[in-house]
Amino acid sequence: MQNCSACGAPLETPVACGTCGAVHAVAESATPFELLGLAPSFRLEERELRRRSTRYARWVHPDFFTAADTRFRELAERNSARLNSAFETLAQPTQRADWLVVHLGGPSEDAERAMPQPFLLEVLEWNEVLEEARASAGPDSRIEPLFAELTARRAENLAQIEELLEPLPERNSDALVLARRELNALRYLDRALREIESLRLARAERR
Amino acid sequence: MGYVELNVLNNPSPEPTAVGALGIDLGTTNSLAAIWRDGRPTVLRPEGRSGLVPSVLHFPESGPPIVGREARDHAIVDPRNTLFSVKRFMGRGLADVARELATLPYSATENERGSIQLEVRGRKYSPEELSAFILRKVHEVATSALGGPAPTKCVITVPAYFDDAQRQSTRDAARIAGLDVLRIVNEPTAASLAYGLDQRDKGNVAVFDLGGGTFDVTILSIEDGVFRVLATNGDTRLGGDDFDQRLADLARDDLGRDHGDAVTHDPAFQQAARQAAEHCKIELSKQPESEMHFMVPGKRVAWRRRVARDEFESLTADLVERTMDSCRRALSDAKLAIGDIHEVVLVGGSTRMPVIRRRVQQFFGRVPHTELDPDEVVALGAAVQAQILTGGRRDMLLLDVTPLSLGLETMGGAVSKVIQRNSTIPCEATEGFTTYADDQTGIDFHVLQGEREMARDCRTLGRFKLKGIPPMPAGMARVAVRFHIDADGVLSVSAKEQSTGATAHIDVAPMHGLTDSEVEGMLHSGFANAVDDFAARRVADLRTEIGSMIHATEKHLNAGRAGLDKESVQDLEEALTHAKAAIQGVDVKALQKARDDFERAALPLAALLMNNVAQKALRGKTLDEV
Repeated sequence: MQNCSACGAPLETPVACGTCGAVHAVAESATPFELLGLAPSFRLEERELRRRSTRYARWVHPDFFTAADTRFRELAERNSARLNSAFETLAQPTQRADWLVVHLGGPSEDAERAMPQPFLLEVLEWNEVLEEARASAGPDSRIEPLFAELTARRAENLAQIEELLEPLPERNSDALVLARRELNALRYLDRALREIESLRLARAERR
Repeated sequence: MGYVELNVLNNPSPEPTAVGALGIDLGTTNSLAAIWRDGRPTVLRPEGRSGLVPSVLHFPESGPPIVGREARDHAIVDPRNTLFSVKRFMGRGLADVARELATLPYSATENERGSIQLEVRGRKYSPEELSAFILRKVHEVATSALGGPAPTKCVITVPAYFDDAQRQSTRDAARIAGLDVLRIVNEPTAASLAYGLDQRDKGNVAVFDLGGGTFDVTILSIEDGVFRVLATNGDTRLGGDDFDQRLADLARDDLGRDHGDAVTHDPAFQQAARQAAEHCKIELSKQPESEMHFMVPGKRVAWRRRVARDEFESLTADLVERTMDSCRRALSDAKLAIGDIHEVVLVGGSTRMPVIRRRVQQFFGRVPHTELDPDEVVALGAAVQAQILTGGRRDMLLLDVTPLSLGLETMGGAVSKVIQRNSTIPCEATEGFTTYADDQTGIDFHVLQGEREMARDCRTLGRFKLKGIPPMPAGMARVAVRFHIDADGVLSVSAKEQSTGATAHIDVAPMHGLTDSEVEGMLHSGFANAVDDFAARRVADLRTEIGSMIHATEKHLNAGRAGLDKESVQDLEEALTHAKAAIQGVDVKALQKARDDFERAALPLAALLMNNVAQKALRGKTLDEV
């Protein structure tokens, strides 16, 4: 971690100094982990992440810079935006894993598209159930069991990703390719789960 | 969670000077200002009067419009020259508000950019100008309450679910009114600030805000003075007005049968029925039965009918359920269950309806907070935020979100989301794009807001083009598009081709709204007193034109200097200085002359730029360097 260029105190985050209050220009290349003063890692305590994000927000939020000159106001706004975006990236395990895989030189979402045949068949089955449920006016008894199944699968899937990414694998290693495949499967699961959520909302709204 | 009860009824004696900043609730039905004083927010009430300014404008035969209570009294006798619910038109086009217009006695048109214009006494007004009249009146009332000039610095609230165009319109209205907007804040979030003043605990709060014309529900988590919005949902076209309309429809159906369209399409009928309906609705909040009655002036038509609360509630049940749908969606987005909500706060005059209180309590399983006047809580919260922004307190911080996703149209008309809804603001995100044809030198971007998958189902915020991409095979260009949402929730977008550094930038000018020069024009020409509207328009146009000529000249002069003779350069530099001075003025003739002189002096440079030699000299430079 660097020291503050204004007062020399060690910096928790590159965006500002908690000791003297100076706001700093941050390199374009700063990672979400760096911005939040964390070592890159898949395992992350959400409470700690939230604590840091609100703590640093107090140092750079534009609300506290309305009287500052334009340069500092803009810097505060920019740093605030970057902090918030970093928080969004890290708060969700899937987005966090996605970022880590790409950062470590692993395949992007588009580069590793192939899914195993049996998995795709399963996806087709869920989709069929969901499509029928959408089309029918009445309740569908298959939806809640499907929801429970997909939720359990999702948890397994995340555990798998954690195993692959914790501790962080070498750059360009096979673990990254495997993690990407798991992430791709997660996208299918999440899409189906979102679909179920919107079915539930629609059913609550059907009067 | 312990909330402090605010005693807002007893105003301390007025202070003589303009300090701090106002918190202004610019509402569909009523507007109000509050200020931080003696350690708490206080509604600004002139002695012996309410501070509430009805958001109604009446245009007399001559002179400036009358705003507020007096204007409302003209609604029935002179409906065509009396405007209300102006907020519903902010940032909208004709097609957006067809339903509203059907029930309102206004004649409305669209300008060339699709912004709505309301016509009164043969003159067209933008919703921003009309809102500016209301804001001026609010400022006047604040001044008389303070016993001295009220601050021009202010925080203005908008419904959380307002989109980019509606937010920008609000900001423009304030600028036209001569106010200095420190921040646009979401109404429900402001309300939570008013309620949460002294609390130290943590918890999740749902704010249910049903106003005159809009509905919002916001879920926040509060911890150590940080108010973090988790999710917001709502409907910018659902409010108390819609409940009134259901009652007014009773009269319309009845009278339509007996008298036909001649009566029910009469603006005087529409206004009379609306006011009677509103009155009846308010009575029904206090008693189980009321009588709705009115007369149509000049038609010799009178109507009366008893309405029971039960009947009113069944007439409006679907409206109440729509608010519940939004509550479910907001909870779902916040990833919380009903049991995770610790407190519920009611905001907006329409939450006085017993059916709303009952339904909200039933839904959340908690008695909602109603300690603060629902008509005042938003302005009070805005005053708290104003105090934070003017450096008064650092122990509270509001982290708000963007209500709607933002994205770009991709091939095939689909939308690629760049920023998801409910992202904390300010925020930024970058998305990569490439060319789809060989030697493609430009990319068109279509910026959209909304949740739907296809571009045609989302709202267009703007279009821009990135030019100057060097010829290369399809898919090779690497274009990064950066979205930035500022703390007011307003978007700007820039694009950069990474191998050459070619850039393009827009402050997304809303499709429906005012251009900067129009706002400036309204500001400088003092449109309220403008005798000749045509001249004012001409002034605005000329200024815009000269402004872009100055811009272009400054951009190209250095590159072109070498290719021009000394005299031409000197002429042009003189003309440039002259134009910069002239643009400050408001005289049409002087502006016209400045424009013509400038154009003449710029001719040699323009000719040079057209020349191939110049093009070669400029090749390889980015748009910004040229």
